[in-house]
Amino acid sequence: MIEDDLRAAFARHEPLTPPTGPLRAAIDRLAIGRRRRRRRWQAGGTALALLGVLGLGVPLLTPERAGPPPTAELLGESARPAPSGALNILLLGIDGDGRTAARADAVLLVHIPADRSRPYLVSLPRDLGVPIPGQGTDKLNAAFPFGAGFTRPELTKGYELTRRTVAELTGVRVDAGVVLTYRAVRSLTDAVGGVPVCLPERVRSVHTKRVFPAGCQRLDGAASVDLLRQRYGLPEGSQDRDRNARLFAAGLVRQSTDQGVLTDPVRLAKLLTTVGPDLVVSPDRGTLLDLLRLAPTLRSVEPVGIGLPVAWPTGKERYLRTDPKLAPEFLTALRDDRLGDWTARHPKLVDEAR
Amino acid sequence: MTYEEFADTRLAPLLRYAVMLTGDPHQAQDLVQETMVRVQLNWRRVVRADSPERYVRRMLTNQYVDWKRGSWMRRVLLRGEPDESLPASVDHAQSAVDRDQIWSWLSRLPRRQRATLVLRYYEDLPDAEIADILGCAVGTVRSSISRALATLRAEYVEVRS
Repeated sequence: MIEDDLRAAFARHEPLTPPTGPLRAAIDRLAIGRRRRRRRWQAGGTALALLGVLGLGVPLLTPERAGPPPTAELLGESARPAPSGALNILLLGIDGDGRTAARADAVLLVHIPADRSRPYLVSLPRDLGVPIPGQGTDKLNAAFPFGAGFTRPELTKGYELTRRTVAELTGVRVDAGVVLTYRAVRSLTDAVGGVPVCLPERVRSVHTKRVFPAGCQRLDGAASVDLLRQRYGLPEGSQDRDRNARLFAAGLVRQSTDQGVLTDPVRLAKLLTTVGPDLVVSPDRGTLLDLLRLAPTLRSVEPVGIGLPVAWPTGKERYLRTDPKLAPEFLTALRDDRLGDWTARHPKLVDEAR
Repeated sequence: MTYEEFADTRLAPLLRYAVMLTGDPHQAQDLVQETMVRVQLNWRRVVRADSPERYVRRMLTNQYVDWKRGSWMRRVLLRGEPDESLPASVDHAQSAVDRDQIWSWLSRLPRRQRATLVLRYYEDLPDAEIADILGCAVGTVRSSISRALATLRAEYVEVRS
């Protein structure tokens, strides 16, 4: 009988089993190493998120130290900031907890000008049709799953492809980035004690039936995630959702400043331990904690929210496209670090403060 | 239960299971090592499962079935044929050949099918549990077992005739 032969074959090969002692030691050794690497990453991630979201700039990043190589001028991925000292940090909000395939539905570029006047929050619409490296033209939010893969997504790869897509679209160099899952937003919000948001119109959640009235309110972590997911029923759908995300990020900045998170080492350490494990960050920047320790402040932490100017699809077009007149001008201003001038000339395209 | 307690009692059976899956002690070590590092790093999640043991076995099985591009598979290809240094397989020459033939036929089966055979005929698990470990329906387990047995039987016939 083949079944009996099988059983016998298995039993006969049991002596092949090696001893467990050395294996167990090897497992422990590897686990210690990986845990240490993971911690370093998480701490770096939190620091970066704070830098990005809090918009506290990094003027002491010493562009003259070593200086970027000449090739870095071609949208190079230099580890150092541009000689001008402007910084661009990419924040990706993905629609899920990162364990299943997810799209990056919030794509936010935090621009910190060289003069450190104030942070700019530029959102790029997820429905924008863009060339994705190696994938043809698709919606911007598809770059993330194309990179990360659809089963067991690798968030860092999703980040990487989105970063390249954004760099090609805007022509700016992305200095660093963070991927925020629902959980990361939740714990970040709760860790700073809730975020104040002033909504221009009422929003009703299609997921939880929660109602966010028009006007100012303070949101806890769960409510924040709920709000950031809503686009159905909003007058301009995902465009309005992008605006809400900018309002939320601005509120988070204000709240963290009020709480003095960056100036109080105890609070900062606490935040690092609570939020750290939920963040995924671009792995290529080493000295984020050092940067954070410099803690230089901007002249104003009041962020300016701007949506990339877009045109609605006409005729047979399937995707949003960039506004043919306004977008090139805006992107040039972004690349040349002249957003201050641009916002002064286009006050209607800027989110209202408070 | 702590990770240490789990490893004290479960590491040896897992290693034996991995030997049956891979047919090779070195591959088995690599497979168990990779799985157990992840178990240790995610111990809180593992221990929350109804049965941590089954959870870990599922991790290990998935690792074995899925890792087409994984580094340990590449190493496997370079290493060639498994060790044949077995005690007590020399006295009856012909039957020893037969026996080792079964072992080498096993290595030609698709990995999922081999896993079902190991789980049923080595671990003696009920089909429902095998289905749970492989993340498929009970019917799928039965059909892949019968397909695997059919393949082995065909090999038998070929040799005998």
